[in-house]
Amino acid sequence: MEMTASDLWVLAQAAVISLLMALAAIAFGTLLAVALTPLAFAPWALGRAIYRLYIFVVRGTPVLLLALLVFYALASFWGRISPYAAGIVVLTLYLAALIAEVFRGGVLAIPRPLWDCAKSLGLPRLSILRRVVSPLVARYALPPYLNVCVMAVKASSVLSIISVWELTLASREIIERTLDVYRVLAVAALLYFIMCFAIDRLGRNLESRLAARGFAGERL
Amino acid sequence: MGQYRAWLEAYGAAFLDAAAWTLGVAVAAFVCALLWGAILFFLRLNGGPWAARTVDAYVQLLRNTPVLLPIYLIYFGFPLVGLLWPASICGGLALVAQNGAYICEIFRGGYKAIDRVQHDAAKSLGLMPWTAFRKVTLPQLLVYCIPALGNQAVLLLKDTSLLSAITVVELTMQAKVLTERTGAAYAPFLVAAVFYLFMVWAIEVLTRLAQRGVRWR
Amino acid sequence: MKQVWQKIFAHAWTTPAPLVAALVLLFSVAAAEAQERSRLDEVLQRGSLIVVTLGTVPPFAFKDDKGELVGFDIDVARLAANALFRDPNKIEFVIVTSDGRWPAIESGRADMGVGGTTVYPDRAIRVAFTRAFIDSGISIMVAKSAGIKSLEELNQEKYTVANLNNPQMADRAQMFFPKAKIITFDTPSGEFLAVKSGRAHALQIDTPTADYFAATSATDFEVLPTLLTASQNNGIYLKPGDFKWWLWLDTFVSELRTGSLYPRYAEIYQKWFKKDPPPQKFYLPPAR
Repeated sequence: MEMTASDLWVLAQAAVISLLMALAAIAFGTLLAVALTPLAFAPWALGRAIYRLYIFVVRGTPVLLLALLVFYALASFWGRISPYAAGIVVLTLYLAALIAEVFRGGVLAIPRPLWDCAKSLGLPRLSILRRVVSPLVARYALPPYLNVCVMAVKASSVLSIISVWELTLASREIIERTLDVYRVLAVAALLYFIMCFAIDRLGRNLESRLAARGFAGERL
Repeated sequence: MGQYRAWLEAYGAAFLDAAAWTLGVAVAAFVCALLWGAILFFLRLNGGPWAARTVDAYVQLLRNTPVLLPIYLIYFGFPLVGLLWPASICGGLALVAQNGAYICEIFRGGYKAIDRVQHDAAKSLGLMPWTAFRKVTLPQLLVYCIPALGNQAVLLLKDTSLLSAITVVELTMQAKVLTERTGAAYAPFLVAAVFYLFMVWAIEVLTRLAQRGVRWR
Repeated sequence: MKQVWQKIFAHAWTTPAPLVAALVLLFSVAAAEAQERSRLDEVLQRGSLIVVTLGTVPPFAFKDDKGELVGFDIDVARLAANALFRDPNKIEFVIVTSDGRWPAIESGRADMGVGGTTVYPDRAIRVAFTRAFIDSGISIMVAKSAGIKSLEELNQEKYTVANLNNPQMADRAQMFFPKAKIITFDTPSGEFLAVKSGRAHALQIDTPTADYFAATSATDFEVLPTLLTASQNNGIYLKPGDFKWWLWLDTFVSELRTGSLYPRYAEIYQKWFKKDPPPQKFYLPPAR
């Protein structure tokens, strides 16, 4: 059996769901990561320990299990929640861990001389954060951050275990009915490509606008 | 708690076997992906405009499509041209192809942090491009990219679970088989999660050791 | 050396043991809800039935080309809703992947489940089943061009057979063709691709699914006449320990196959399998 035009429409709808979930998770995840990253550099050891524990648990556990945890085990405390809400919560927690690590890498890449300059100028901490750290981290961390954004679109596929219907599950349903594996996979891959590529291009645009003078590879 | 002990006794050996497969494929794939990513990035830097565009197209294609696609293509498609490789190698190749693309992007991010002065110095010393890359760029890149590379290693480890679609009996497949057999809702996945946590812990320890080793240069 | 040791054990507190304990505790807490009243009462009070199902197992439960959930098991579930509420549409389907069935039932998210789920003793320890509402079987499908005509032919070392990752198929393979190589997939589409690409020569699959595919998407395959099993039991599954709810569901299934709901059963059986169901009682003629 071959896939039909109405199958294509079903896949397109599923793609929109995947995209919306990914965008929501990226937005919330970035906010959470911005709150988390300073914790990694906190002067008190407990703060750093909490950060490392969070990253370890969220990155180390398969997202499948995280999804089951949030949807079922926590639902016994919160009551019934929609699978899509649970899915966004899971993705947010997961992406926040990945993004926080990316930001942390960005901060670590700032050359020492710049720290010393900022300190010798006597700038207050908030000012250092705003004028020195943030612009630099934004530049260093943007390519790996784009990596994570692109991954977010594909990451929602594992949520099908808690009844979230999205592009991977939709393509699976059509494949199991029609056995038209390659064609359906190709269409799904194309849809993913369009979404991820769009995110990537937007990001590259941002990157070239932020390119600072004096650093190697500004023409990359 | 008792049910977990019974579980471990009955299925522990199967899980250990599956964990060995996961670790083996992940380590081999990561090392090869690092190499492949470095080669891709080198070509992008020094290969001229056409090479750079080809690498870019490759990276875009593999980053933006689900990794299940190359896995399926290699495992089911290659036999049609006579290459009947074992499932783990097919899966490993697909993982290398994809993660090489991601690592190339990670290198691209780290490259900007290297001061231009370094490259001018390398050129003035008359170093050949590959030598300059190997001795000047790559070591500094690796240093700047350690957290991101550690991240990628963890992601690759998790991606090995996709190999369950092509018959590789790794941790997630083992958990799925046991869930099917026994109707247990969480236990097999919990056990698999313990193994994954141990492996991720090991990766994190290695990452931090590497970082502290180069921190105060 | 000592410094390296110290550096590694600076991370000792992040070892997974306390986390595993926490995870296990969390799940135990979540699962240990006391049964105060029966699910049946809850369902009646709610006014609708929540059914967990798969979406990728034709002809039992799958999505048609408009994206609607259809299938034999879906129609049976609607009959259950009709029996409870006089309205087959007072029903909500929760569509998961195969590992997601058990958590959905155990957590109480769904009242019952369908979806080509076979009764198996190992599973029955943790999940309750009604009696079978349909007999299934396991068949072997081969490519028409392969020239394999019987089960006995397969029992040679040169052949590879593709299985699904359920325990029945592993047992059957051991019994009928121990000499052949086995590769295991988690979906039928993987099995079909394996045969088409030459990685396997035959595949094991549920008989109704085999018939469905042979008639629709896999017309270049044929089903070998010998079944690997005479009969498998596909039943409704639910959380164990709730006798009242199980009794109602089991009574419902009994009426479907042998009692007052038999005409409706025969109707949907004809719709999906294009043949009559087994007779109500051995001493009665088939159908009607």
